[in-house]
Amino acid sequence: MSHAVEAFELKKSFTRKRSVKELLTHPFRKAEQIHALRGVDLHVRSGEIFGLLGPNGAGKTTLLKIFSCLVLPDSGRAVLGGEDTVHEARVKPQLGLVHSDERSFYWRLSGRENLRFFARLYDVPGREIESRIDYLLEQVNMVDAADRRFADYSSGMKQRLAISRALLHDPPILLMDEPTRSLDPASSLALREFIRERLHERDGKTIILATHNLREAEALCSRLAILVKGRVRQVGTVAEVRRWGIEERRYRFEVAAWPPRIDARCTVVADEPFEDGRRVTISLDADSSLDGALRALIAAGVVIRSCERLEPDLEDAFSRILKSEPAEDDA
Amino acid sequence: MTRDLMKILAFLKRDFLSEVSYRISFIFQIVGIFFSLLAFFFVTKMIDPTTEGLNGIPPFEWLLVGLAFQYYFSTALYSFSAKIRNEQLLGTLEAMLVSPTPTSMVIFSSAAWDFTYGAIRVLVYLLFATLVFGVQLHTNSLGALLLGVLLTFLSSAGLGILSASFILYFKRGDPINFFLSGLTTFFGSVFFPVEQLPVSIRWVSDCLPITWSLRIVRGSLLQGLPSSELHEALAYLLVLTAILLPLGILFSRVAIRKAKREGSLVQY
Repeated sequence: MSHAVEAFELKKSFTRKRSVKELLTHPFRKAEQIHALRGVDLHVRSGEIFGLLGPNGAGKTTLLKIFSCLVLPDSGRAVLGGEDTVHEARVKPQLGLVHSDERSFYWRLSGRENLRFFARLYDVPGREIESRIDYLLEQVNMVDAADRRFADYSSGMKQRLAISRALLHDPPILLMDEPTRSLDPASSLALREFIRERLHERDGKTIILATHNLREAEALCSRLAILVKGRVRQVGTVAEVRRWGIEERRYRFEVAAWPPRIDARCTVVADEPFEDGRRVTISLDADSSLDGALRALIAAGVVIRSCERLEPDLEDAFSRILKSEPAEDDA
Repeated sequence: MTRDLMKILAFLKRDFLSEVSYRISFIFQIVGIFFSLLAFFFVTKMIDPTTEGLNGIPPFEWLLVGLAFQYYFSTALYSFSAKIRNEQLLGTLEAMLVSPTPTSMVIFSSAAWDFTYGAIRVLVYLLFATLVFGVQLHTNSLGALLLGVLLTFLSSAGLGILSASFILYFKRGDPINFFLSGLTTFFGSVFFPVEQLPVSIRWVSDCLPITWSLRIVRGSLLQGLPSSELHEALAYLLVLTAILLPLGILFSRVAIRKAKREGSLVQY
């Protein structure tokens, strides 16, 4: 399995700026260090959408900045497309960055003029610039608005233009920092579809998506990493992360009738009338199997119409992971 | 090389498009130049043309060249740092620095329009001077003049890059700009000849590129001196350029590296 983006024991600290008052009152006191990353290991596979989840200050943006060659790590290595990020000239052509910052364009220029300027910076050959811009504007449904001033764009249009810019040089890796942060629900949904269907499924881009929108992560990402105070707390598929820290499994049955007692190690956690029968949710502990429960139900004469596994909520898993954080991180 | 040139042209075009979107402001600036020249035309009538250091050049013409080039030097001093600051505020710096274009190229090219605009302003000054105020310009040492202008551009760019590096390094206001701007205005023979200063402090003037630039331009355009008489000023300017430009580039590398380590490259 090839990896498009990797981090090995990445560490990064920043010095907190001291106020004039602090400088005057304690001139020799050592400035406080903020540990943004405390030894991050990540391995993002080629062609996957990988989510970076975490609360504010978890280190998501710092990690993206290191991958983008904007910040140097204190120690450890970041590798994109097989190249260490210290070799900027070899790394930058392989990546596109989509900011959450709406301002990152020239407001008095049109969308097309902005893209022309950035196309030169992104080393798009001169004869290909216009056709590439036309293609990208079409991809993000911006053809009609291309010659309007950027200042007149809506938030959704600005974000779509930012994606076009990141794709100007057709990089295999896209880093997206909260791309739907300022968008309304309809625009967010459209953008998610674009990311999944065109960038991921059709173009096969590797995408790292930093977000604290759990729904977005759930809808888009094949795997997730949860960052808390500069450490990776959990990595895995969305289902794996959801189940983290949960011993029990829950199943929902639709049955004609539920017996008062069954011979299986399960607990009924919900029981409600449903159509002409009942809908019952049971919880199985780690030692019990679904097979055993099914056998017990059939032996009790229960007519099972359907059975489905209920996945735990990602939000709950996220909250469990935050609570599980070791005490030394608070130091 | 062609690719780098095209990038500089892209910066020029970007800023030109922004500039022409403020048409009224552009027109007012040109009108402003005319009225400031008109004021100086009458003010300089009070100055004795035989004042030491004017070297026989009429006071208005002497001052006109000083004014035109002083603006050019201030542009060079402020442009790099102001542009970087502006890009940080706009949020566009990060988008540029994540592109395959090297950071030093981004910083250097970002001031391309200001330098071009500064040169256009110098030409506007000279056009007003000849067409409206009847100043006679000489062209018999054009080669030396062009070399002088090129060295002026390079030496002032060196100072400008130094100043931008200071901002990147310290994230503070820019004392280099303040200091150099004051020095240039006072010691650079912009408003009055250095010969008017006490002898003991005149050496400061020799350390400033603008002093030599103005000697070359005034000597060539206003006095009509042959190239041979401009060699000394050209040599001084060359030495200052050879010191300032590499120093600026060196400091910019140090500053960029430090800013990347601190994570402050795109902060304001």
